Amino acid sequence: MAVLGIPILENLYPSTMDMWPLEAKEFNRNWQFYENLKQGKLTTTKCKDCGLVSWPPRVICPECYSENLEYTDLPNKGKIIVFSEEVRGVPLGFESPLIHAVIDLGVAPARRVLSRIVNCPAGVLKRGDEVQLAVFPVPALPIDKGKLGTVMSERVFFAFEPVKK
Amino acid sequence: MARHAVILAGGQCKWGVREAHLVDLFQEAAKACFDDIPTLKPKDVDGLIVASSYAGRCSFQVNTAPVIAERVGVKPTSICTRVDVLCAGGSTGIILAKGLVESGVADIVMVSGGEKLYTPQKWEVFYSELASVDHDWDGTNGMGLPPPFFSLTAQEHMMHYGSTKEQLAAVSVANYNYAATNPVAQMQKTLTLEEAMNAPSVVPPLTLYDCCPITDGAAVCIITTDEIAKKFSDRPLVYIRGTAQVCLNSVSANFPGAHLADWKHTKMAGEKAYKAAKVSPGDIKVAQTHDCFSISEVIEVEEFGFCKKGEGGEFCGSKQIELGGKVPVNTDGGLLACGHPFGATGIRQGIEMLKQLQGRARHQVNGADIGLTHNLSGANAEHTVLIYGREPVK
Ligand SMILES: [Zn+2]
Repeated sequence: MAVLGIPILENLYPSTMDMWPLEAKEFNRNWQFYENLKQGKLTTTKCKDCGLVSWPPRVICPECYSENLEYTDLPNKGKIIVFSEEVRGVPLGFESPLIHAVIDLGVAPARRVLSRIVNCPAGVLKRGDEVQLAVFPVPALPIDKGKLGTVMSERVFFAFEPVKK
Repeated sequence: MARHAVILAGGQCKWGVREAHLVDLFQEAAKACFDDIPTLKPKDVDGLIVASSYAGRCSFQVNTAPVIAERVGVKPTSICTRVDVLCAGGSTGIILAKGLVESGVADIVMVSGGEKLYTPQKWEVFYSELASVDHDWDGTNGMGLPPPFFSLTAQEHMMHYGSTKEQLAAVSVANYNYAATNPVAQMQKTLTLEEAMNAPSVVPPLTLYDCCPITDGAAVCIITTDEIAKKFSDRPLVYIRGTAQVCLNSVSANFPGAHLADWKHTKMAGEKAYKAAKVSPGDIKVAQTHDCFSISEVIEVEEFGFCKKGEGGEFCGSKQIELGGKVPVNTDGGLLACGHPFGATGIRQGIEMLKQLQGRARHQVNGADIGLTHNLSGANAEHTVLIYGREPVK
């Protein structure tokens, strides 16, 4: 498929225009976070030396600089503290309504997680509503493996959705 | 003898939707700057700082400083570099130039900033905004364009402090009316409270005039020492008395306040800059604070101590930010009406402060001798404050 105005980019993948993370192990030391998401688990990193749980996950503890980290589960459910709804003028890559919320997952450091609410029409959400993790596929990452050709690496991302009452 | 940094001159090109390349805008702004001080020539400049964050994405140009140096005809020998702090790039350039001239590393530094954001297809700048927040953790949630984030901020201010939509609209009205006669502003029209209250919705409670526009533009100023400045100008000297730049969080992760309307990092930046400048909030006669959204200005006047925390809505809604009020704010029109080419904005603020403190501003604040400029950058990830004054810190 040609890129309009730039015919040399035919069939090439410009990662600098990719709105999703480069989740594959080859490009991301926090690849395990995305593997955990594929299992339906929201996780983050915990320092095995000082005990600090960080959000988002990282490769070095920001408190004691230990590299001795492990993944720990975060709650999959939380409550909406405040939310916004964008109905018109939603940016490329997102569908209307684009709903953002500050969500309390009940434990530090996830008492005020800024995320997106999906599977929800405009005008129905209320402050205090319960929401749950929603994992969805995003386009696979094309990685050039030389003689092996281009390998498509599956990707997912997450948001939250209302808990059905 | 101690060297004290001053802002000597400045100018900006016409801001708005420009039929021009990024490097064209820098050339126009450099000309406007030298027009402001005919005794100074490009050959007198020994340092160049270029503030631009979108050069890499929207103009396909990194390592921008040598390109700008060549186009504007300066030949730096002390420093030639680019800074990228999004909305605070210009102010950061001024802070760095102050350090360079006071330490003797440089004598006369041109601080320039600019962005060309309107690309041949408009989607691209909006899409590229995914790079201006934490790409993997916030961009993926559609936080690239800031109105949703500032909608949440405005709602929490209303929840915790009772501010109103009408008070937000009062900020837009004041800033548009300041810019109505500003020949380089993007929006040159008066605005009534009724028009602001009935404007199309963006992300509730924010409507059209609560949000600054996307802007092409550039600005240039000259930072040097007081002794050097006297050789080029008889105008009153305008010193950069104190500065601070505070970063405690990355966009949404680990926001330092109790909620999104509690800007602890802003307060900290203000307090540190006041201390460095040996002034207090009551000394500030005029301010240019970062009104990327009307709610921002409401919170900033609180965090900088122009009024009590939580009373920013009342402060802005009762004309305290207008001429004759307690602290006139964004007297050239601010981001809301001048527009906001990220790297240029801090320089625009510095130029307005230069004019205010020299008594030659379009909306002159009587007796202006100390002023404050401020930038919020990213989605509330960093705060930058500069205090300008007619006297050096003693
Ligand atoms: Zn640790």
